[in-house]
Parts: sequence; C-alpha cells; structure tokens
Amino acid sequence: MNKHNLLLQNIPDFVAHLQTYGEVHAPCQKGENSFSFEQVTDPSRVVLDYARTLQSIRKYFLPPTERLLNFSLTDNTFTKVAIENNHRIFLGVHSYDMKAVLKLDFNFSHRTPEINYLKRRENCTFIGVSYEPDDYHFSRSVGITVENTEGFDLFLDRHENGYTVQVLTERGTEITKDFTALGEALEIPEISRQFKNKIKFNYNRLPEVMEQSWNSPVWEEVAQRCVGCGTCNLVCPTCYCFNMVDNVDLKLTDGSRDRHWDGCLLSSFAAVAGGENFREKLASRQRHRIYRKFKYITDKTGDPWCVGCGRCTAYCTAGISIVEIVNRLSDEFEQTHLRKSSAPVGQKIQGVSL
Amino acid sequence: MNILTKHEHTPLELYYPEMAEITAVNQFTELEKWFEIKLPDGKELGHQPGQFALFSIFGIGEAAISICSAPTKKGAFDICVRKVGMLTEKMHQLEVGQKIGVRGPFGTGFPVNDFKGKDILIIGGGIGIVPLRSLINHVIAYREDFGRIIILYGAKNPDELLFPDELENWDNDPSIEYHVTVDQGTPEWQGNTGVITTLIPGLDLDLDNTIAAIVGPPIMYKFVLMALKSKRLPEDNIYMSLERRMKCGVGKCGHCQINDSYVCLDGPVYQFSDIKNLPEAI
Repeated sequence: MNKHNLLLQNIPDFVAHLQTYGEVHAPCQKGENSFSFEQVTDPSRVVLDYARTLQSIRKYFLPPTERLLNFSLTDNTFTKVAIENNHRIFLGVHSYDMKAVLKLDFNFSHRTPEINYLKRRENCTFIGVSYEPDDYHFSRSVGITVENTEGFDLFLDRHENGYTVQVLTERGTEITKDFTALGEALEIPEISRQFKNKIKFNYNRLPEVMEQSWNSPVWEEVAQRCVGCGTCNLVCPTCYCFNMVDNVDLKLTDGSRDRHWDGCLLSSFAAVAGGENFREKLASRQRHRIYRKFKYITDKTGDPWCVGCGRCTAYCTAGISIVEIVNRLSDEFEQTHLRKSSAPVGQKIQGVSL
Repeated sequence: MNILTKHEHTPLELYYPEMAEITAVNQFTELEKWFEIKLPDGKELGHQPGQFALFSIFGIGEAAISICSAPTKKGAFDICVRKVGMLTEKMHQLEVGQKIGVRGPFGTGFPVNDFKGKDILIIGGGIGIVPLRSLINHVIAYREDFGRIIILYGAKNPDELLFPDELENWDNDPSIEYHVTVDQGTPEWQGNTGVITTLIPGLDLDLDNTIAAIVGPPIMYKFVLMALKSKRLPEDNIYMSLERRMKCGVGKCGHCQINDSYVCLDGPVYQFSDIKNLPEAI
C-alpha cells in the first residue's frame, strides 16, 4: 500500500486538484458548531477536522425527497425521471459514515435491487479522514475503528502537521499520481484512537440481549421522555425507510409521485386506512428502532445496523441516548438471564401458543 | 468496483406502474366495489392466489390491494375494494374504460401445489373473503386435485356479504361445504348468527390432512387460532394472510415490517409456524 504525506497548507490545492476529476463534496462549516457535506466551490471552505455532519452522505444516494415519476392529470399518463449519476468525489468522510453507505448498498441491492439508489452510487470516489471521538461517538463498540479504511479509495490519517495519505485502490492512485505536493510518508507510530462512549457488551451479543428484552420496562421509560419527533430517524445514516406521495401542481394539471424520508418513530408509520395502527405506542416504536439497529438485520447478516456515529443521541430533542438504552437492556439481561441456569427462549404471541 | 455490476441481479425500475383498463365494475355494498382490470396488450398479471398488487391514481397515490380472481381467469383479473381512504374513495368513482396504475404482483401466495390431495378449510371474516376468493376459485377450477373444500364465511350482517352470486353457487355445489354466519341477523335472515368461531367446533376434520387458510380482521385471528387449537389442527397446516401499510411493495420502504419480516416479501401469506414467534404479528 502506498503512503504519502499531505501538509495542512496544501489541502486547498489538493481539493482544487480533485476538482479536475469530478464534483468534490466535503464537509463545510454551517453554524458555529455544525457541518454539512456540500459541493465545494471554494476549496478554502473545506473543513477536515470536524466531529460529525448533521446528515451523512446518505442524502446523495437516497435524497430527502426524490421525484419517482411525473404525471399528467389531463391525459392520465406518466413520464419517467432520469436518475443523475455525475462523477462525485466525497472528501473527508468518517469511517462510520462510509460503513453506513456499505450497509445501505446491502439494503438497496438485497432481494430486489433498486436502480434509483444503485445508479446514484455509481461513479463515486470516497476519501476518508480520521477524527477525534467525542462524547457521542461509539463506533468502536460496533466494530468500526476511526482508522477503518473499508470502502475508501484514499484515507487521510491526521498527524500534527497534516495527514498521512493511504492509497487504497487504483482509483486512489489515479487521483493522486499527478499531485506533486504530496511528500514522502513520515514515520509515525500507529495510534488507535480511544472512545469514551461504549456499549458494554460485544456487539455480536446484542441480538441475544434483544431476544430477551421484548417486554423490558426500559421501552416504557424511554417512551415517557420521547416526544416521537423522528429526529433519530432523520439523522441516522443507516435509516432508509421512505414514504411515497403524489404532489399536484397549483394548476391541477400535472404533478409528480415523490418519495421522501419517513421514520418508524412517527405515529403514522404503521397505520393503515380504516384506523388500525400496528405500532401505536411510542414504546413499541422505540423498540422497533433499536431492534432494527441491533437485532433484525443483525440476525440475517451478523452485523449491527448502527455505526456508532452518535447522531441520534447528539441531536435527540429529549436527550435520549442509544448507548444508554442498549446498556440498560444489557444490564437487565445480565441480571435476569446470565445468573439463571435456564433462560426462556423465544417470544410467543400473547394468548396463543399452539 | 462498479456498484451496478456488483449485483447478482440487474437493478430494476421498481416504481413505474402499468396503465391498466377497467373492463367491468359491480357495486356489491355501499362500501365494497368489484373491478375487472385488463393490463395493456393482453398481458397476464401472472399472480398466485393470495398475492397483491399496488394500485394507483395519479394525484392521489398508491395502495396495496389483494387480487381476488384465480390465475385461471385469463386476459384480466379482479379486485374488490373497500372504501376506507382517499385512494379507495377515488377508485370507487372509476368507471369502465378508465385507467388505473398497477404494479405487481407482489408477495407470497398460498402454496397451492403443496395443498394438492388435502382437505381445504377456508375461513374468511369480512373483507378477508376477498383474497380468499382467489384461492377458492383456484381449488374449484382444479376440484379433483383437492379433498374436501370447506368454506366458512362470517360477516357483520347479511347486507355486507360479498360476491352474492358466487355464494349461492358455493351453497348449491354438492362438492363444497359452505357455511356462512352473520354477527347480527335481519328478520329475513334464516342462516347462522354469531361470530365465525361458532362454525368451527361442529366441523369433523381429518386433522393431518386438512389445510386451513385464514383471512380476516386482526381481532379474528386470535380467536380462530384458539378454536383450531381446540380442534388439534397441526399448526404447520395453518396459513394466514396479514395486512400492513405498504408503500414500495419490494422490501425497501419499511412500512409493512412485522418484527424482522417484510409482509410485502415474506407475506402476506404466512404459514402459522413462520409467524408464531413474531410478537407483532397479531
């Protein structure tokens, strides 16, 4: 593997160099302490030292709203919508957000591969960057180190005066070979960055914990504080549920069928016409969210569907912490099941056991 | 690596409907209307009994609705729609010759090949009879492939019974054991009154050779399952179809999920043993 050195002062030039290969999208400062992936026009606005962006790069592949088709009410016909797939270079992606994209790849290619998502995922180059874990990050607990390079073409590992650039793919070689400001990699001892925020059990034990947590009082306690706003779904880089809605223009002649992000925490999510709501209680919706991250897909793939970015906790309007929920359930599991010799297995539909 | 070539199957355009034509309508009740629908160029929908499709009207939206004709019907298929929301209200206004968007078929159907040689016990409550009609018409079309055909149908009152002509045919057909009950009778009603479970204790079933197919409102399943349990019908012989909110129909949008199961992919027809450990199922 090739390694180079990139000095801090050369970053704007490096960004400008990347722009000759395609659109560059990188974290830019929005508010005092908030960052957002934006298309870079001014290389000096790129910020590579940041804790987290409000939205992950999921928004490029599964946009918050997306037009699925255009229709005409006048003649009851529709036209298809072209899916854009410009060449994009994502600079400054954290390892957990890259991992989240790889998880979404699974969701959108598994069983029924969807052209909308997969076409947008074409022609992408990913350049990772290391970060200093803050109070919310817990990626290590779900198997993703800061320095995890999976999915990246290049990875920039921060040191005192700049970055060690790891070239990981042919594409990585292609976009760096003509950039003359890269120096010889420095001899720097490898450091593994530490996380203060931790899940107490190894993640591969969490499906077992969840298996026993269906009736835990924790769900009701969380529901007491939760306001059901769905922010946790909106900022989660692995949430991909959506709604489909027809929107009609003001002339009432044309319109579009659009999809937009939806959230399993919202009360209407599992409601059907006629009044039945299959997940009416907030407690059952919180439980569904946590099971989606640590049990359902994990049972099938072996991987947790949470990447430890900390967004759902950092942005929660009610101060609910996903790590705290999982640790409380783990404590309960430890107390009630690990100290008994025979733990009950499985859940039964209440009232019916044939 | 190119993400598009990484996949086993070609990525698909999943959300474009086919514009199908309504070729016949029949208003069964104030709330329920039957439609016959024809795909363009005489194309067959290619469904299995129990499967559903997504139907849409531009400007209103899309909803999942069961197909209620058997695949033996060629050149067109049937649906029966209860007016419960904006889309179904608009659908009720559609007339012969008008077009409607169709995507599908989706989901699992009843495994009718595995049912061959078995006695078929069909239990439908309310509009649950609609998806079951597809199975009923299939087993009638291949009558010699099956043992007894027992149909139990329950409705709130006699005015809500659907497919009136066919009910009469089932009743008159000596090869079908048809039992109907209503929760509340009328002065003219001469049949059974009471909930559908009252029809179960009197059945004399060959337990190992009987398949039960159940569709009805959520509340019905629990009581029917308990009644079948008292009969000692093996749980592997029980199939049921579940309803959930659906948007995409292809296992992406998340709305229809029951625990880790997507109703649009793994259902709507489930073998009871597949869902008995899913606490969200019923």
